[in-house]
Amino acid sequence: MKKLILITLVLMLSIIPLFAGGASEGPAEGQTEIYFFHRWPNDPKNSMFNALLEEYMAENPDVYITMDCILNDQYKERIRMVVSSDDVPDVFSSWSGTFAEEMIDSGNVLALNDIYEADPEWSGKIASASVAGFTFDGTIYGIPWSQDGKVFFYNKAIFEELGLEEPETWTEFIALLDTLKANEYETPLAEGLVDQWAVLHYLGTILQRMIDPEVLASDYNPATGEFTDPMYVTALEKWQQLTSYMGEIATAIDHETARNTMFATGESPIMYLQFAEIPQLEQVLPEDFEYGFFNFPAFEEGLGDPEALTGAPEGFMISNKAENIDACVDFLKWLVSPERGAILTRDCGDISSVDGALTDETALPEQAEALKMIQEASFLAPWLDNACDAAVYVVFGQGGQAIASGDATPESVMVQVQEAAASIR
Amino acid sequence: MKSKRIIPRSFSGILVFLFLIILVFLIIYPLFWIIISSFKDYQGIYQDVWGLPDEWHFENYTRAWDRGISQYFVNSIIVTIVTLVGVVFVASAASFGIVQLRGKLGNIVFLITMGCMLLSPQVCVLPLFMLLRSLGLNDTYFSMIFPYIAFRLPISIMLIRSFFVGISKELEEAAVIDGASLWTIFSRIYVPLSKPIISTVIIMTVYYAWNEFMFATILVDSSALRTIPVGLMVFRDGLMTEWGVVMAGMVISCIPLIVIYLFMSKSFIRGLTAGSVKG
Amino acid sequence: MLTRKRNFGAFLFCVPALLILAVFVYLPLFENIIFSFQSFTLSAKTREFVGLDNYKALFSDPIIMQSLFNNVLYAVISIVMQVGFGLVIAAVLEDVVFRKTESFFRTIFFIPTLLSMTVVCLLFEFVYNPQMGLLNSFLELIGLEEATHIWLGDSSLAMLCVIMVSQWQSYGYITMLFIVAIQKIPSELYEAAIVDGAGKLRRFFSITCPMVRQMFFVTMVTTVVGAFTVFNEPYILTGGGPGTATMVLSLHMYQTGFVKNQMGYASTIAMLIFIITAVLSSIQFFSFGKEREGDR
Repeated sequence: MKKLILITLVLMLSIIPLFAGGASEGPAEGQTEIYFFHRWPNDPKNSMFNALLEEYMAENPDVYITMDCILNDQYKERIRMVVSSDDVPDVFSSWSGTFAEEMIDSGNVLALNDIYEADPEWSGKIASASVAGFTFDGTIYGIPWSQDGKVFFYNKAIFEELGLEEPETWTEFIALLDTLKANEYETPLAEGLVDQWAVLHYLGTILQRMIDPEVLASDYNPATGEFTDPMYVTALEKWQQLTSYMGEIATAIDHETARNTMFATGESPIMYLQFAEIPQLEQVLPEDFEYGFFNFPAFEEGLGDPEALTGAPEGFMISNKAENIDACVDFLKWLVSPERGAILTRDCGDISSVDGALTDETALPEQAEALKMIQEASFLAPWLDNACDAAVYVVFGQGGQAIASGDATPESVMVQVQEAAASIR
Repeated sequence: MKSKRIIPRSFSGILVFLFLIILVFLIIYPLFWIIISSFKDYQGIYQDVWGLPDEWHFENYTRAWDRGISQYFVNSIIVTIVTLVGVVFVASAASFGIVQLRGKLGNIVFLITMGCMLLSPQVCVLPLFMLLRSLGLNDTYFSMIFPYIAFRLPISIMLIRSFFVGISKELEEAAVIDGASLWTIFSRIYVPLSKPIISTVIIMTVYYAWNEFMFATILVDSSALRTIPVGLMVFRDGLMTEWGVVMAGMVISCIPLIVIYLFMSKSFIRGLTAGSVKG
Repeated sequence: MLTRKRNFGAFLFCVPALLILAVFVYLPLFENIIFSFQSFTLSAKTREFVGLDNYKALFSDPIIMQSLFNNVLYAVISIVMQVGFGLVIAAVLEDVVFRKTESFFRTIFFIPTLLSMTVVCLLFEFVYNPQMGLLNSFLELIGLEEATHIWLGDSSLAMLCVIMVSQWQSYGYITMLFIVAIQKIPSELYEAAIVDGAGKLRRFFSITCPMVRQMFFVTMVTTVVGAFTVFNEPYILTGGGPGTATMVLSLHMYQTGFVKNQMGYASTIAMLIFIITAVLSSIQFFSFGKEREGDR
């Protein structure tokens, strides 16, 4: 018992200095406070935000910004909860597309058309395709600040050695994978399917390319979703075909591991990656490694636009409940600017959605090429987990995994998807 | 006794002994491997899984500490201590009340507390989440502390009550004649006499609160409030390939309980086996 | 009159405990029962009453069957590995032959119990890692390349792998419980048996086993209840995958509620867990109460 008291005391004493050091300051008298909530608690983004906020507050001593952040899935869950309450943050990050719509449906998101129109010099620099992702019925609800795209990255050296070219159609792509397999690349396509989002990124693109856009839009809407079109099974069959090139190991590793230990080492010549992953990829690549990229090939029988690029822009929204809307707008104008966009691309690798942010000094040549691909895309398709209800995409994710591990067929997965869609209709 | 030997003499005895040694190896080796690997960098772990580090990366520990473990550690300590104080105080008071109550009431109260033991925390987690939100307690330390206290109370009350029942009534009767209040009887007689059982409860509670995962992961969102078990998960996601640092974080998180165990393994084992219900 | 006043005073001591239990245990349970007949999302302000729809859905949900199967598998393996095996090891350690080494083994076996489940799961991620994991490296080292697997990624092995993690962690704890029980057996019983010429096996079956039957029962129920409520291991190691191969009831409940945002149906799954575990724990509750009284 004495020992126990002693230990408790020691533990308690040991935390006192930690408390003393950890006390954080709040806003001072007369300062305008902005509560800023985003989804990037990880470095390098977190450090970048800390530095940017410090800079902003030094330039604007009358503003105090409180920042909070949590990671992806938890962020989604939490922002859904608070956005409809009175605790809605003044400024928060959001994906575009259906997710943005869900935020707007709360009735708490500020319409920004006047702000865009009042300052054409600033707003003219923002990529219009990205703004489109935040525009609903002509009303703009968000300020995009990064854009992304998911494409097949390939190992240029291996392609040159075997005389391969970037495929444009599915048949060409499969032939290319077969050639690689015949040349002793046992897993020509690297992927880690432990992460369900990795499955969903694939399926989102495959569905977009395969299904009639009108049918797809109606099915993605929770109120009308049926998923009975026979093309869905065809789409999942393509997925099944693709997983046969990923090797048995794919279901046992995560996306990062696949990237770092299979694509970067040259073991697998192709991988489906986001432009935003370029910096992490650069960290693990050997010196002389050269890579190129091509958009997801077109299905011959596909009804969707093959020129689209999957990869929704992300941006910020302002609460219409905020007491200091002007301060919020000033802050976002400062943040979404060529200078800060350059910092974003240089430090974090995200492609800034501001014109002039990517220069030879701030961006790699590959990033410049990525920007070109984004600009040339016919439209930016949202990620599957931003496009439809969670009850549906979870089934797609689990089903996609089960197809890859050989435990389910495209038909059986679609039956489950239909049931899930019916349960929320 | 004849057998002073460490290794038994008979053939079957040697076989069993070898088997036990293999079991020991299965437990010790992975732990040993974690400690060794926590001093390596990514390449060192990936390319030479079994070997000793070429270069000892002690900075993995300072990096782990600075990159978030320190915050999780403090959170865990706060949550554990508040839970501990709450459980010990509330449970011993309730046990005292139950013992003192005359008539059926004491049994009813005891049954109400014991009834909670039929309930696994998993069943309550969804409504608890909604409840804490409507109480405005979500995303505070209390969203862990209150459920922890609530789910530790039944077993603690059961143990303390059965100890209180055995306390001799003579001292108490003498005190009553002197006009002592219930509070005096409780704080001057019962509690001081119950140190062994209270220390058992303390150990059970510390063990539970330090390692609890499900409530902590579901009921708390802010990174600033995460306790070690949940924090480690975030830590792993955030650090990606810096495995050495992740493992350093794992080692740090185990230290407090291991230290308590080494200091007082007897009472620790008594504490964890007393309830026969692991947290 | 004095008794009543005194009783009131004594009751005041129970109030904090009763309040906490009412608010944080009984109220949620009660709410959960109501929720299980409703349909609503996390952010919803109103809840729709749907009668028995959720319960009907329970029976046609293939993931429920998969989860139940996995939970049962969990229970069976845990009983054999922890309770059965733990008892044998406890008896072996308490044998006079191991007098010198008993405390060493005991201390080592107990260590995994001290680690938090997160640490244990993160550790086993490294053990099962198909590329550099300890398990595959070891199999290659001893020349069993064909025995290597992708473990957690192989849907036929994943559940077993997850279950083994729990065995590794909890097995020493159950053994310790049996050691405590065996130490309470009066040594005269064994001495008398030795005089009668009973062998070790005979003594194990005719003295040790009957004398620890209470503990046997308690550990059995604890283990089975644990198996039906398991959450941390599959949540951390596989998230229920690949596909739904490692889905268990608690995880299915969590995903339905917090990911798929169907709180009503998730509460119905919680009710299923409640019914299973409450039946099992009430068995333990009554047997345990008896044992406690017997100790006094």
